[in-house]
Amino acid sequence: MAFDPHSLRQDFPILSQQAYDHPLVYLDNAATTQKPLSVLDAIQDYYRSFNANVHRGAHYLSDNATTRFEQARDTVARFINAPEQSHIIWSKGTTEAINMVAYGLEHLLEKGDEILITSLEHHANLVPWQQLAFRTGARLRILPLTSQGEWEDEYASYFTDRTRIFATTQVSNAIGVHTPLQAMLTQAKQHNAFTLVDGAQAVAHYPIDVQALDCDFYVFSGHKMYGPTGIGVLYGKSHALEVLIPYQTGGEMVQHVTYQSTQFNTLPYRLEAGTPHIEGAIGLAAACEFLTQQDRHALLAWEQSLAHRVYTRLHKESHVAIYSPEKHTTLVSLSVPNIHTLDLNAYLDSQGIAVRAGSHCAHPLMSQLGVAGTLRASFACYNTLEEADRFCDVLLEAIDLLTDE
Amino acid sequence: MTDLPPYNSIKQQLQACRSKEETFKALVALSKRLTRLTAEEKTEENRVKGCESAVWLIIDNKDDTYSIKADSDAKLMRGVLVAILSLVQGKTKTERQKMDLKDELESLNLGSYLTQSRANGILAIIEKIKK
Ligand SMILES: Cc1ncc(COP(=O)(O)O)c(C=O)c1O
Repeated sequence: MAFDPHSLRQDFPILSQQAYDHPLVYLDNAATTQKPLSVLDAIQDYYRSFNANVHRGAHYLSDNATTRFEQARDTVARFINAPEQSHIIWSKGTTEAINMVAYGLEHLLEKGDEILITSLEHHANLVPWQQLAFRTGARLRILPLTSQGEWEDEYASYFTDRTRIFATTQVSNAIGVHTPLQAMLTQAKQHNAFTLVDGAQAVAHYPIDVQALDCDFYVFSGHKMYGPTGIGVLYGKSHALEVLIPYQTGGEMVQHVTYQSTQFNTLPYRLEAGTPHIEGAIGLAAACEFLTQQDRHALLAWEQSLAHRVYTRLHKESHVAIYSPEKHTTLVSLSVPNIHTLDLNAYLDSQGIAVRAGSHCAHPLMSQLGVAGTLRASFACYNTLEEADRFCDVLLEAIDLLTDE
Repeated sequence: MTDLPPYNSIKQQLQACRSKEETFKALVALSKRLTRLTAEEKTEENRVKGCESAVWLIIDNKDDTYSIKADSDAKLMRGVLVAILSLVQGKTKTERQKMDLKDELESLNLGSYLTQSRANGILAIIEKIKK
């Protein structure tokens, strides 16, 4: 393998620490990634050199801040190949972006309309739609994808003339599988449904081209792609963003206000009420630049090879059940019959290994798999082969310790 | 039930742990002392809400004899339950209500095995025991 993560690790000082006297092994990247120095520096630089409120103009610092803030929008637009920066709306993260769409489209929904999502969704791409259905009398329907993520012809029947919204994840956070995105989007478009793609688990790993995807909305979080927390993105096509009723109102999103009425600002500002998360946007832009400067194919191949390594080692163990695919994924999700994932997690933690145990905010999917939860090791570009192996070794140790004679 | 280790020895053992790994191993060892509940006893009614792992608690409060049984699907939690059962078994209601269970458990040096996500569950168990 040509790629060497060791030099990249210099950019992530947090990784070179001990956890309970063991070298820290961070394999909880699907929850949040660590941040490179360039992101930390960009945030520091903002506060040290040009902190001011944006768009209120009129002085040196504010002009600087505004310029950098709008450059950040442009950087993000290029990162996902959005046609223009006005298509990029800042949000707190994926969750808020989905809520912005769910509230914004409410006025277009009628009783009997259908909202279609898949069975692989994170609660963030489920609960907002379920609640929207409650409020409008629309029906929430579930496309029962298999855990392999392949398209089956019978899925087509789930898309009907009543389907007004189709929302799907690109990659499952719980089991790492890719959904059959293109086939589903094609169906949704044939039925004139609004389409939303949850890219939270995709952006850190796969180059994204929203124009090629041709979805109406694409959403993601900064913190899962080496950027800061508290910032995320709602991308939308012009017509799709135009029909959204602003989910929040107040300052910054208006052009003119009287006591009788308000004239809203144009996009993107119409959907961004209040002082934005300026440092977050600047940090996220730095994260986009960090990724753009890498050989992204090499990074992805590396991350996939680590997941594959774990898969091949553990798959041989008859008592380990693996729910993630063998290939083309950057995480491994597993369980061991008769051993609680929390117990496995506790032992891994005691050895300095950070993973995630539980239902991964996907209760219905866990029921579908017939487990209470899984243990998930998720990889990022800075993880090493030694770390992947150490995870396997310590997991097997944990299984030994937790198995009753 | 009767073969639960005495609480003081459990306390000594846990307080002597010097690392997270040692505490893990001590809890695993303790977990083996628990008399497991039968499938019939693991009812929804007996289940304690708020635990990340499933925990069942059966308290028989008739007469003056207080009997308490518990189980969990997670082994470390079973270890914690052994400590709790050993602490309260044989105590009268007034004695139990006078005890600061939470304080006592915190003195066991269980660190993250007791805190955060598990804490709500432990509090719920304590509530149930105090009744
Ligand atoms: C697929 C998916 N969607 C949505 C979310 C929610 O993201 P956030 O908590 O950053 O809003 C996550 C985070 O775990 C996720 O993995």
